[in-house]
Amino acid sequence: MMTRLQNLYDPVREGVSFGFISGLVVLFLLLAGIPVNLANIGLLLVFVTMFVAGMQFTRRHFGSRGIAFLARNALALGVVAAVLVYLFLALLNRWQMEGIDVRKEYLKGVDHRQTMTVLSGVPVEELRANPAKDPYTGDYPEDAELRTDPMRLTFDRETGLVLKFGLSSKAWLEANLGIGGVYGFLLVLVITALLGAMLTWAAMRVEVGRRRAAFRDRFAGHPVLHWVAMVLPLLFFALLWLTTGHGGNDPVLRFAEENRELQPLLMFGIILFGLIAIRAAEPREWPLPYPARVGIVCGGLVVLALLAVWRITDNEVYLIPTSSDPAGSAGLTTLALLVVVGVLIVQNIQALQDPTRFEWQFAATLSGMLVLLLPLYLDQYGNDILIKVGIYVMMGLGLNIVVGYAGLLDLGYVAFFALGAYSYAFLSSNQQDTESGVASGLKFPGNDEAVIRIAGWLTIALVVTLAVVIAGLYLWRRWQVSRSVATTRQALIIVPQRPSGRVTMLLIVIAISVSALIGAVLDSTEAFQDVFGNASPFLVGLVGGVIAAGLSGIALGVPVLRLRGDYLAIVTLGFGEIIRLLFLNLRDYTGGPEGVLEIPRPVPADAAGQPVSYLVIAYLVLIGAALIAFFSMRLKTSRTGRAWSAMKSDEDIAQSMGVHLVQSKLLAFSIGASFAGIAGVIYAAYQRNIFPENFSLAVSINVLSLVIIGGMGSIPGVIMGAIVLIGMPEVLRELETYRVMALGALLVAMVIVRPEGILPEPPTQLEDKARSLALPSTKPPAERAEESAV
Amino acid sequence: MSESRDLILEATGVTKRFGGLTAVGDLDLIIQPQQIASVIGPNGAGKTTFFNCISGFYTPEEGEIRFLGEPIQGLSPDKITARGIARTYQNIHLFAGMTVLENVMVGSHTNLTSTPVGTLLRTPLNAREEDAALARAYELLGYVGLDSVGDWLATNLPYGQQRRLEIARALATDPVLLLLDEPTAGMNPQETENTMHFIQQLRDERDLTILLIEHDMSVVMGISDHVTVLDYGLKISEGTPAHVQNDPLVIEAYLGAAGADDLAADLEIAN
Repeated sequence: MMTRLQNLYDPVREGVSFGFISGLVVLFLLLAGIPVNLANIGLLLVFVTMFVAGMQFTRRHFGSRGIAFLARNALALGVVAAVLVYLFLALLNRWQMEGIDVRKEYLKGVDHRQTMTVLSGVPVEELRANPAKDPYTGDYPEDAELRTDPMRLTFDRETGLVLKFGLSSKAWLEANLGIGGVYGFLLVLVITALLGAMLTWAAMRVEVGRRRAAFRDRFAGHPVLHWVAMVLPLLFFALLWLTTGHGGNDPVLRFAEENRELQPLLMFGIILFGLIAIRAAEPREWPLPYPARVGIVCGGLVVLALLAVWRITDNEVYLIPTSSDPAGSAGLTTLALLVVVGVLIVQNIQALQDPTRFEWQFAATLSGMLVLLLPLYLDQYGNDILIKVGIYVMMGLGLNIVVGYAGLLDLGYVAFFALGAYSYAFLSSNQQDTESGVASGLKFPGNDEAVIRIAGWLTIALVVTLAVVIAGLYLWRRWQVSRSVATTRQALIIVPQRPSGRVTMLLIVIAISVSALIGAVLDSTEAFQDVFGNASPFLVGLVGGVIAAGLSGIALGVPVLRLRGDYLAIVTLGFGEIIRLLFLNLRDYTGGPEGVLEIPRPVPADAAGQPVSYLVIAYLVLIGAALIAFFSMRLKTSRTGRAWSAMKSDEDIAQSMGVHLVQSKLLAFSIGASFAGIAGVIYAAYQRNIFPENFSLAVSINVLSLVIIGGMGSIPGVIMGAIVLIGMPEVLRELETYRVMALGALLVAMVIVRPEGILPEPPTQLEDKARSLALPSTKPPAERAEESAV
Repeated sequence: MSESRDLILEATGVTKRFGGLTAVGDLDLIIQPQQIASVIGPNGAGKTTFFNCISGFYTPEEGEIRFLGEPIQGLSPDKITARGIARTYQNIHLFAGMTVLENVMVGSHTNLTSTPVGTLLRTPLNAREEDAALARAYELLGYVGLDSVGDWLATNLPYGQQRRLEIARALATDPVLLLLDEPTAGMNPQETENTMHFIQQLRDERDLTILLIEHDMSVVMGISDHVTVLDYGLKISEGTPAHVQNDPLVIEAYLGAAGADDLAADLEIAN
């Protein structure tokens, strides 16, 4: 264990593994589906060289510490690659000048009419219609392979020189980010290089003690770095804002203006750089004055808000529909945005009073806002991927609780996802029997009635339970206090003990019976219809889905309480299949293989305009994932989380430390399951039609793999895992049939190179907080010193 | 029952069998408050089995174990811990993947009340409780001299510190009775002596009753108030250290019959 962890935080290993991974990605991008010709062999060589050089570079230079080390890591692949790319272009062009027609070699066997980017400017349709426009018509055989050109070479029509090439010039990338060709390629490299830097940065953060001290010593005299880092992004924002649309003359700014859509990416890079520099200057040693801290964070927020407003008005995309304007109201949307920003500013003004929180606050607030901006900047395809990734993030975080925190291997996790989805489907589907025109099946008749009834009963139950619990606890405590006089044993920590199981059961029984009584009385009254008649099916479905999934989590948990490891995996696997087969075979209730159709979107269908309902789902996913991540984060460092962690490490010892195994396990299963339930409800609302085959074993395996690949127990890791595992297949779509193979190889490579996951969870850092909280020591220090010699 | 309330632990006729093997047979043991009691015996004498009966890992087939006057045999380990019995292990069992501070905080589990809902909302009660648990864990680390390594992974600590961490974790459960299973295993004589001194300090400063397992009887003689000797699961002697030391049955158990004769001969010569 010890050696493993030491390896884990070794920067050299980080660098090498990162270089290896990105090298493999590039190699696979290259190898799949590219014909063997002169140019491609050259390209392959370039990448192999780049890969080896990058690895050597990181290996050789990673002895030193500090910002230089980070910068080198980030630049290693970027710079080397950029240089090599241009060398390669030069080489191609030299061949061209020496009389080798690179274009002919390159286009051998390829019907390049399929590729818009190979020839500058002439669209495919035009080429087809008018072959004379194509200088190479007839140079390839009639049966030439028809496929996209993965290298995207672009030639100058006049001179025949190679102008640029790129591997990621997807149509959407070009259309949406304004970049393609060599820019797209460089962008990919820069992003992977930044990722590498972030990885090493994360690794360095956890290197407590020695390394941090050395790091600080080295930069103790450079508070200026700190200021530069702070001012730089602000300067950028300011310049950008001043010159955008005002016709600046600076070429950099002109570039920025021409590629407006690049701005969020640029900002992200600059913020990242700022963070690294702040780290270098140690905010604890050189705290910024309070007004400056507030100014920086809030300034960033305001700029981001302005960007959002600009984007919203530019695209006429409004989130909040009104009755008069179903496409959405600009005023309301802007107002909502301003409210969000206002709340964040107020929150930051308070939080920033503590100088050490600045860095964290800065990163969290700004990156949160950037993520919120993302759906506005993506088109439907991009949002589709975002939603898919987000749903998997939610499921991944849920499974992370079961597997990562509590160590219970669950291979039937998809069952809870399915239950969530079907719960919403049952409650809201508008499906009609095609023959009779009447609503059919369970989903169908009295649908709205069910929604109203559930909404009413749930509300009553909630109110009554709250009342009963509050009253019950109050009475119980009074009783307890009056009794405690007789207590002989002093409690360790002076807090009220929780009520015994019997008292809790009593409270639950009272709450259930009272709410049932009130519900029954109110059920058929007019008021009930009036109040709950407008209940949103989505909200009811959400609550219903979470409850259904959570309860089924407990139902699964009870029989498997005594099982561990392999046996647990097999039983949960069976559970997942049983649920799927139930949905498949209970045709009368679930529609069987024909599934449930016409599930409404969360916002009623009459709010026309497809992009709006898209954005609503995207934001639902973002908010849902954020809330789940937040809950997971809090759970991790709580009594419950520690109990899970102890249980994962050693069940018996955990039990002998007072952990109630049954309770802890059921809690893990039900919380994990209810997260999947949320994901399921949103998934059903997004897909609008669900079928049993949407919930096959493959989903469980995907979710489990993303948890393992991202880093078990680590929230950023799970998010990263979802992005890689769900997002990557979309990025790799260019590879066509080789896509799955490339993805598989990538996963194998990742598991070999980083068995701990992409972003493993660093040990929690509590000592500083503990020291500030510590009670006055019970003994004189001299005696303590003696003891530590033991 | 009022007189037995004054006893910390009272075991009567405890028997634990594994198939045909009687690991602990008909064992009686009484521990007074504030005592350091020791159970000694050669390897395989049933000492750890007896510990496991007390801490709830095993349920004895026969007999009764009373803690503060109430029967505890058959209760699950977590319930027994909640009542005030904590233990350490012969082979160190720390929670891998958790830091030193977190390990100790797990020990506070039964003294905390937070639920997932409270955790999500971070109610003032919850936050206060969590802070108190952290401060308490840190104080305990200070007590055992580990307060500078609170953020280390527990499994990265050197051996001796792991032992002390186990004690701190056990103390975090707020025990009345502390069971220490061979706390000096693998230590050199100097370390052993320090540890014994530390155990004495624990009893005096922390208001604890301690039950100690040792197979090396010389170790516990200096500090024990009461010694029980087991051999093949049976109690062969008990009493003050001096009494036990001179019991021929004990000497035979440790040295074998021949060894006991040799020793007797030596003693005669010496006399």
